[in-house]
Amino acid sequence: MDAISRIKQIGMPRRNNELWTFFPVAKIPMPEFPETCNDTADYSDEEDFAALLPIAFNAQTMKQDIADGANEMAMLKCNNDFGHTVLNIGKNATASLEILDNKVAHEICAERFDIHVQENATVHIFFANPADGVPLRFRHFRIVQEAGSKVYFSEIERGTGIKRTSLDAFLKGNGARLEIRSLNVLDGDDSVHHRITIRHEAPETESVQFARNLLNGKSNASYDGSVVAGANCSKVFSSQLVNTILLSEGSSVSVKPVLKIYHDDVECTHGNTCGELDAEQLFYLTSRGIPVEKARELLTQAFAKELFMPMPDSPAKERLEQVVASL
Amino acid sequence: MLSIKDLKASIEDGTQILKGINLEVKAGEVHAIMGPNGSGKSTLSKVIAGHPAYHVDGGSVTLDGKDLLQMEINERANSGLFISTQYPTEIPGVNNVEFLKMALNSKRAFLGQPEIGEAEFKKLIDEKMELLEMDDRYRDRGVNEGYSGGEKKRNEILQMAILDPKVSLLDETDSGLDIDALRIVAGGINHIMGPDKAVILVTHYQRLLDYIKPNFVHVLRHGKIILSGGPELALELEEKGYDWIEEK
Repeated sequence: MDAISRIKQIGMPRRNNELWTFFPVAKIPMPEFPETCNDTADYSDEEDFAALLPIAFNAQTMKQDIADGANEMAMLKCNNDFGHTVLNIGKNATASLEILDNKVAHEICAERFDIHVQENATVHIFFANPADGVPLRFRHFRIVQEAGSKVYFSEIERGTGIKRTSLDAFLKGNGARLEIRSLNVLDGDDSVHHRITIRHEAPETESVQFARNLLNGKSNASYDGSVVAGANCSKVFSSQLVNTILLSEGSSVSVKPVLKIYHDDVECTHGNTCGELDAEQLFYLTSRGIPVEKARELLTQAFAKELFMPMPDSPAKERLEQVVASL
Repeated sequence: MLSIKDLKASIEDGTQILKGINLEVKAGEVHAIMGPNGSGKSTLSKVIAGHPAYHVDGGSVTLDGKDLLQMEINERANSGLFISTQYPTEIPGVNNVEFLKMALNSKRAFLGQPEIGEAEFKKLIDEKMELLEMDDRYRDRGVNEGYSGGEKKRNEILQMAILDPKVSLLDETDSGLDIDALRIVAGGINHIMGPDKAVILVTHYQRLLDYIKPNFVHVLRHGKIILSGGPELALELEEKGYDWIEEK
């Protein structure tokens, strides 16, 4: 079944669809699909409308192989409203991939990334400087990881518009590890949504989800994160933590953790905190003479900075920290 | 220098903690405030600093004739007030040295002075850290982040040394310090103290006063200073406790 047929089958996103619980689905315009879908692959298992959209619109596909053992840095940029990137990261390779926003997107922008990470490869995938003024942006990732591979997926979202990142990860090989770090710095009517599903399909696989939100104005963030630990997967480790600071009365956050565990010998945790800036920390800084506005700025920046601190030193970490410092 | 007159303050539920504090502190003086748990000692320093959890019901606090209670928290600090609370707050993600520099530059901006240069600041902080026998770990970490109780107290005195306040109100600075650390911290306070400055020590124990000699000792109980005396009063309290004062 091609992508257009599959979209017609599942229908437009609705709030009663678990994948779209928190998303303002009424903002999605009814798409006018081309007559035929160039990509004839079978998408009958794909559940997420956003994953199908670029394929249904015949997005240009960019394919890239990174050779075994190579060390590559690349910037990925979609120049059209719809984009499809297929990456194969070779065994023992190291790659640092920065995704740049399409700054001339129109009503809607949708991208899909299919990334296969081979044995013992290490990949940093990150985006840190989103475009302003794209009304609606979907970005979908399908990541398959083989044994011993490591993926560091990091992002900073800010700026106007409605953005949704969806990610389906398949940890297929023993010892594969995925770390997701999301920072959302939102104001006005900004709205950012995450729908993450991580499937642990091999023993000793590890996943970390860590999201932090700084929400001002009437902004809104949501995090819908699912972890599935398979039946034959002992010693799986997964953690999910979402911390939010609401900087205004009108901002809001929704968090939905889902754990599906089919093995006894696993460690899976989830947590969620939501509050204002710490009054004692604010007092402490101001009691040392720092003006209150500067103190608030210091605390919000510290909150953001902490998210990326545990990352291994890399160009990605450097870039993310640069952006945080400029917030 | 610091003049506290009939200061009354309460917490959010209306319970009055300070019930009319009077205290005159002149330049060059060291005052010690002692008192049983729950007498209002910690509240006093927080109220003077402007902690938002407390409401001032009446009275006045002036520093060199300026009304502190009318100032914002940072303005009080920049006017020369330094308070060290019993449990210094941890601020992960805010580098200790960067914070110190920002605090110092805030004070300099308030006083109409230019920002301190890199070399001058480095010299200043090196000198003060050496005075307090502090190692480089204090430079790289977040403010008080992961510090032991004693390390936090030492870091407080480092801040005091850098900011060079007129009046310092130190709440249980001796708690959490081992004997060597107590000697070092007390030495630091004595070094910072001068004829144009004043220190108010809040403490439970005589041992701090063996190192920092107070000119006056006050007993705070039920939100009021009920007895004042010289350094000998601290020795008497250590021996007899507090109940004899009220019995008297």
